[in-house]
Amino acid sequence: MAVAKYIGLYFKLVSAGIRAQLQYRFAFVMRIVGMVTAYTGTAVTMWVMLYQFQTLGDWNFYEMLFLFALSILSWGFCIILFFHFRSLDTYILNGTFDRFLVRPINPFFHFMAMKFDVASFGQFLFSIIAFVWVSLELQIDWSIGKILFLLAVIVGGVLIQGGLLVIISAFAFWTTKSEQFYWVAMYPARNLTYYPLVIYPKFIQWVTAFVIPFGFVNYFPTTVILEKETPFFPDYIGYFSPVVGVIFFVISYLIWMLGLRRYKSTGS
Amino acid sequence: MGQLSMYWIFTRKAFLRSSVYRFEVWSRTGSNLIFLLMWGSIWTALYAGREEAGGVTFTAMLTYIVASQFLDGVNEAGTPLWEIQEKVRTGDISLELMRPFDVPLRYLFADFGSVAFYMITALLPLYILIFLFLNLALPTDWITWVYFILAAFLGFLIRYCIEMTFGLLTFFLVETGGIEDIFYFAMSLLSGSVIPLWFFPAWLETIAVYLPFQSIFFLPLSIFIGEIKGAEILTSFGIQIFWLVVCFLVLRFVWNKASHKVVVQGG
Repeated sequence: MAVAKYIGLYFKLVSAGIRAQLQYRFAFVMRIVGMVTAYTGTAVTMWVMLYQFQTLGDWNFYEMLFLFALSILSWGFCIILFFHFRSLDTYILNGTFDRFLVRPINPFFHFMAMKFDVASFGQFLFSIIAFVWVSLELQIDWSIGKILFLLAVIVGGVLIQGGLLVIISAFAFWTTKSEQFYWVAMYPARNLTYYPLVIYPKFIQWVTAFVIPFGFVNYFPTTVILEKETPFFPDYIGYFSPVVGVIFFVISYLIWMLGLRRYKSTGS
Repeated sequence: MGQLSMYWIFTRKAFLRSSVYRFEVWSRTGSNLIFLLMWGSIWTALYAGREEAGGVTFTAMLTYIVASQFLDGVNEAGTPLWEIQEKVRTGDISLELMRPFDVPLRYLFADFGSVAFYMITALLPLYILIFLFLNLALPTDWITWVYFILAAFLGFLIRYCIEMTFGLLTFFLVETGGIEDIFYFAMSLLSGSVIPLWFFPAWLETIAVYLPFQSIFFLPLSIFIGEIKGAEILTSFGIQIFWLVVCFLVLRFVWNKASHKVVVQGG
């Protein structure tokens, strides 16, 4: 019963948020244009870099575009659900976070449902066009199994990246800083994963597989879908993506709740 | 001359202000290093063990990309685009119109201060270590160093004029979504900061050569690794000075327009 109540509540809160955002229609469209421009810029950079060299660590342009688009697609969902977690520090400093604590619902849930960023339409637009283009160029055979796997991978990717945003926001409970951690750590790290991890030093690959599991967002799953080899890792490692996502997210949630308890105990 | 000493005060103040936000310096350094790792790995993988490609040795290319990340750190230590936009939106910049100094010049001198602090405390020590550690191809004669520093400084000024101009466009366009992304794209690709122009397809190289962005990264870096040498250095300086004049005039023009246009938002 509780779950049903929460789902109903989520949609109610979210629809209010969407209506608020659509009031500024021009701003909304410009943000989408901006995002598509930015991602296209990165894709063009990849194309230029491979114009002379053809491959980067055994990956050609289309394979890299697929890898990039998969990261952007799950990031799109992540923006909708979790992106506002990074600015938890602002809420804490302004004292507006306290209103999430005085209501009779789970504060984590309430904070999560507070914002529903519809501008991630830009991410979807870019990545879906990229997917269709790459699928035609590489003649990917989209069987039912592969489509289901792709969906599971997206869920996994959203949970991993969302989990990381949740952990970053939890820093705010201890240090009253979170947004900055996003721009210092997660933003550059996300940029690393736009390129096949195989090009990085072994240590970095190991970290992205087992510590901050970014590798499971796009690199490992892409190697499964495109049937590429993953040096240093077993080829089937990509199948673990959804599981890694669930485990990582649960850990993040627990860290967040731990921080929340600390926040309460210090008072204002 | 009395004028100039007033602007130096902004430089000193910005230097001191940066020293308060030490966390900022650490975090910026961290992210600079991650991007250095990324581009270093990408170019290592692109060369894939080859000694040279397109007439450029791997060592020279690696030197190019490390020096580029250094320049990137220098250029990013100034007032970023979003901060200029924010100052326009909140009206901070309009308040400064009332004060007896030239606003674009005041921001430039303040940037000198924050850049100097960032360079002394983070960039220089770090990159000296990297250059010692990585066995790169550094210029052997001192005059090349002088040329590089001069070219990098001209590039810094050009970048400043362009970034400020883009920022001031906020006066005219209430919503700037696409604008800043075009700026960042041009800054990263067309400037040659991550891929040198000689690896571009011919048509794109032609476009990049006729735009001001190559002056910011490509020209100083090419001097640094010796791809531009002898009389070409003079031509390169000529191009930079030409673009500095053009970008400066455009900035003055936009600034004049902007300072006569007051937009009251939400007021």
